[in-house]
Amino acid sequence: MSYVTINQVTKGYENQVVLNDISLTLKKGEFATLLGQSGCGKSTLLRSIAGLEGVDVGRILIDGHDITNLSPRQREVGMVFQSYALFPNMTVFDNIAYGLKMKKVKNVKSKVKNMIDMVDLIGKEESFPHQLSGGQQQRVALARALVMEPKVLLLDEPLSALDAKIRKSLQKELKRIQKELDITTIFVTHDQEEAMTMSDRIFVMNKGKVVQSGSPSEIYTSPVNTFVAKFIGNYNVCNMEVFHKLVRSTELKGNEVAIRPEVLQLVSVGEDSLDIQENWGIKGFIKDVSMTGNVLRYEVETEESAFLVDYLHHRGEMFEQGARVQILVPKKECIIL
Amino acid sequence: MRKIKKQKIYLLALLLPFIMFVIGFEIGPLVAMIKNSFYADDGIQVAIDQYITIFKSEFYLQAIQNSLVISLFSAVTSVIIAVIAAYSITKFSQKIQNRLLMIANMTSNFEGIPLSFSFIILLGNNGLFTLLFSKIGGDVFADFNLYSWTGLILVYIYFQIPLAIMLIYPSYQGIKKQWKEASSLLGGSTLSFWLHIGIPVLLPSIVGTFSILFANSMGAYATAYALVGSNYNLLSLQIASLVASDVALKPQLGSAMGVLLAATMIGAMWFNERMMRRIRRDLR
Ligand SMILES: Nc1ncnc2c1ncn2[C@@H]1O[C@H](COP(=O)(O)OP(=O)(O)OP(=O)(O)O)[C@@H](O)[C@H]1O
Ligand SMILES: [Mg+2]
Repeated sequence: MSYVTINQVTKGYENQVVLNDISLTLKKGEFATLLGQSGCGKSTLLRSIAGLEGVDVGRILIDGHDITNLSPRQREVGMVFQSYALFPNMTVFDNIAYGLKMKKVKNVKSKVKNMIDMVDLIGKEESFPHQLSGGQQQRVALARALVMEPKVLLLDEPLSALDAKIRKSLQKELKRIQKELDITTIFVTHDQEEAMTMSDRIFVMNKGKVVQSGSPSEIYTSPVNTFVAKFIGNYNVCNMEVFHKLVRSTELKGNEVAIRPEVLQLVSVGEDSLDIQENWGIKGFIKDVSMTGNVLRYEVETEESAFLVDYLHHRGEMFEQGARVQILVPKKECIIL
Repeated sequence: MRKIKKQKIYLLALLLPFIMFVIGFEIGPLVAMIKNSFYADDGIQVAIDQYITIFKSEFYLQAIQNSLVISLFSAVTSVIIAVIAAYSITKFSQKIQNRLLMIANMTSNFEGIPLSFSFIILLGNNGLFTLLFSKIGGDVFADFNLYSWTGLILVYIYFQIPLAIMLIYPSYQGIKKQWKEASSLLGGSTLSFWLHIGIPVLLPSIVGTFSILFANSMGAYATAYALVGSNYNLLSLQIASLVASDVALKPQLGSAMGVLLAATMIGAMWFNERMMRRIRRDLR
């Protein structure tokens, strides 16, 4: 039983196709993420669902109703913009109450109070947007959308203007509120880590198409093509012919092979502990070492191409730049594309 | 530290011509006017006679009232028209917007005697359109008299509108498209958007523009003079005839009226500002 259905939606601007035959379905209460590079059409798809853009071809259904031709105010969807878009002349309270007043709902006061409580903004009711921090403004924007009890909540990169720490805490909070209200949510981001931690389901988009959909772990462990492999997991993607040459074996068939950087291991040349049953070995040298938090990333140059190898950072165990190494490639971790 | 100070002195020195200009042509005359207004007709005795004269004279009070009414009326009308016109301009392509603004800019400088003369040529008793329409038969201008109250207001509004458009147009850039989108997603109509968000956001600029237009028409002299001469009783015309007429010069009385003119403008600005703060509580 799907709650949101997008059926073969196509949309173009002038002579450029921005959404190319997109179909997807969501279950009620699901947290779905549209993930893709800048310009791939994520915002356009979201805005089409909200009714802020029309579509050229295709249908959009929510809860069994065809909403393709409804105006935004009839669709019962809520949206949070990247730039918050709070009304600058209204207090926090009035911003959140605006929609309720428009719909002439009863008990405005208590509903707004509950919402302010939920997004943890007690004491800020009478503040104006310009008196709030970015994170607080984003909470107001979220509350303003949620208080309407929309059928679907749309979030267009709501956290991307915030710094890393606040971003992390708001991710958690957003997820908590989403679960608490059991609200069907479509979240847009181009940050794959954010998509992984928050989503029940990810739709990877490229050039106006959905190229793969699935749970975060499905997408991460079995990418369907080079684009997803590179975009999601920083996979090492290697041409099959080149790979055959490097490992001196033609055991694998296919066009390309993708290997995640964290399944590779490095050993010094000489201390050969290569298990030929389980692994292949590729000789090379360390071209570069970089550190991203707790992960050490080696860039290993081989005779044909460079490989990324990720290690958890342990004290004292580190290869120097220029060191000659052998990369151990576990056979069962190789994904054929 | 010293270096910075030196630089500052240097910059101040560059500002000197401007400061001298302001003192010489603005502050100086203002002080002289205020001082003058507190002398008796002989220019020697300090007195508040001039103000008493004005407030006792129905004629002068009438002039003040007329000026206030025509200024209020033309400023309000022009602001309303300009708010709508400036919004329409924002709906054109950038190229056409620039052209329209250029026209507004040019016409906003079109006032005084040339403007009155143009109106006389077009709509005066023997004006082009007046004659044209009476020949055609459709006597649209039969009841219209350019040299009257209506005529005066028409000309005032005409020269106020382009200025008002120029002043209000930029503030439309401050209205974000996403506010409109958010409002519509929350169930608001276009009308409720403008009522609750659009107009309040524009308000400071509308109020500021109103103050400028009000002052502009309170002080307008040449346009009125060319059109109605001294047939019409306006504050600016009375001041002119007291300080520059060939009958009886009364510079002290003229100064007192000038002070009252300035006072009404400041009063209007203060009132506008107060009203705006009541609505835009976020600007406090
Ligand atoms: N109003 C418009 N007119 C013309 N082209 C547009 C318009 N809006 C978007 N586009 C084009 O559509 C494409 C997709 O835009 P969209 O905003 O959906 O991308 P996005 O995936 O949200 O990117 P980002 O991550 O940068 O926000 C872009 O190539 C953009 O140039
Ligand atoms: Mg976008």
